[in-house]
Amino acid sequence: MDLVQQHTWGWFIAIYLFFGGLGGATMALGILGELRFKMGKWFGIGTAMLGLAILSFGLIWLVLDLIDPFRFLLAFWVKGIGHSWIARGMVIINGAYIFGVLYALAAFYGWETFKKWMGYLAMFCGFGVTTYTGLLLNANVGIPFWHTPALPVLFTVSAFSTGCALLMWVLAALKSHEADHYFHFIEGFDIFLISLELLVIFAYFDFARLGNAAVMKSAQLLLHNPMFTIGFLVMGLIMPLILEAYASTKEHSKGLAVFASLLVLVGGFLLRYLIVWAGVFQYPHGLAG
Amino acid sequence: MARYGMVMDVSSCLGCRACMAACSQWNQTPFWAEDFEGKWRTRVTPLEEGKFPEVRKVFFPTICMHCENPPCHSVCPTGATYINKDGIVLIDYDLCLGCGYCIEACPYDARYEYEKEDLEKDEFYFGEDARHHQVHIDKCTFCVDRLEEGLEPSCAATCVGHARIFGDLDDPNSEAAKLVNSGKAKPLGEYMGAKPKVYYIK
Repeated sequence: MDLVQQHTWGWFIAIYLFFGGLGGATMALGILGELRFKMGKWFGIGTAMLGLAILSFGLIWLVLDLIDPFRFLLAFWVKGIGHSWIARGMVIINGAYIFGVLYALAAFYGWETFKKWMGYLAMFCGFGVTTYTGLLLNANVGIPFWHTPALPVLFTVSAFSTGCALLMWVLAALKSHEADHYFHFIEGFDIFLISLELLVIFAYFDFARLGNAAVMKSAQLLLHNPMFTIGFLVMGLIMPLILEAYASTKEHSKGLAVFASLLVLVGGFLLRYLIVWAGVFQYPHGLAG
Repeated sequence: MARYGMVMDVSSCLGCRACMAACSQWNQTPFWAEDFEGKWRTRVTPLEEGKFPEVRKVFFPTICMHCENPPCHSVCPTGATYINKDGIVLIDYDLCLGCGYCIEACPYDARYEYEKEDLEKDEFYFGEDARHHQVHIDKCTFCVDRLEEGLEPSCAATCVGHARIFGDLDDPNSEAAKLVNSGKAKPLGEYMGAKPKVYYIK
């Protein structure tokens, strides 16, 4: 077997994967706060728009990664929807925009039933955005480290963790009983998500340890890279888990949780960049020219 | 309707790379790339096999495998990658988004980007005869335009060692089908499930 590290996708795709997941999760969690935690219409509208703005920022990088960015309109020609995750992603992203904007309009004008429906549909699409980014990489059969069911789970959990982190910033700035209540819910949810992420990472590398040559090579690249071990695992997962767990037991400790959420955001980006970077093809012998 | 495929007889490959030259001339692929960048529809890679003192050098020819279950086709968002009636995997340049998803999905390293600089060079070298007019992902087409004229793919036609045997795998009388049906020629990386139609005799 010839092992070759992929080089077609790099920073730009990693930036998109990060901001796409962050935007989708922010919108979904923000609308949840308004629909279920009485955060008020302006919180719902604001977080939905913030999520879409973040998603749009990510999409800019995706377009810039095309050989010719001016051909991006072809992305709307989703003939491959039956089998391609980019085509399916386009539909999900468009759904997020449409239902997100309709939800915001309904919330603004106070159309309660319509708002609820649009809100749940926007949340579903936001969830879809977080999930499809992992499925997108997962479809590459030639890169065994990506071609595993663990990757979409890892990206989804990580995206929601970064979404929680961003919402903690927003909620920490709000002064109300509801904001405090939702802050603590989000903080607890993030602790759960980071714990789950650690479990998935452990399972991922345990799978890699027993995997084929390309999977092991990818795992070695990551484990020998301080950006992964120190930057992501320690600073982006374990540290925020400890800090958030500690903060959740104390009164008036939002500052600590907000600092931890900054680490989560940096860790979320590093995870995507490094997973993309560590993609290794396993070509049959002689093919890697 | 045919089911075109190719058999690579590795022991007959001289390593002259006339196939690469013929292909790049006919298809105007980026032979001008300074560091070669892997922008070839077909490649011949020198390999050493075995352990001292039983060592031999072989030349390993590769092209797009024109898989029956191509992963590149599965991931293409716009339907630009398609399979024609003769089982040849092709790209509609007008629909190609240029996202590179198919490059990542191909487990045989068969695709590359035909970039803006390549278009300029193509026009510089070939002038009015330039065949590439927009950026796209590029790969072997089995010289589908030559097939329509009753010719073999340029790489097979130019191969001095008869290392590339092209034919209809559904025609039991074709040399390629005979080699495949006899079990002498085998595909690469069968475990990946793409069902390649390029076979190898090692």
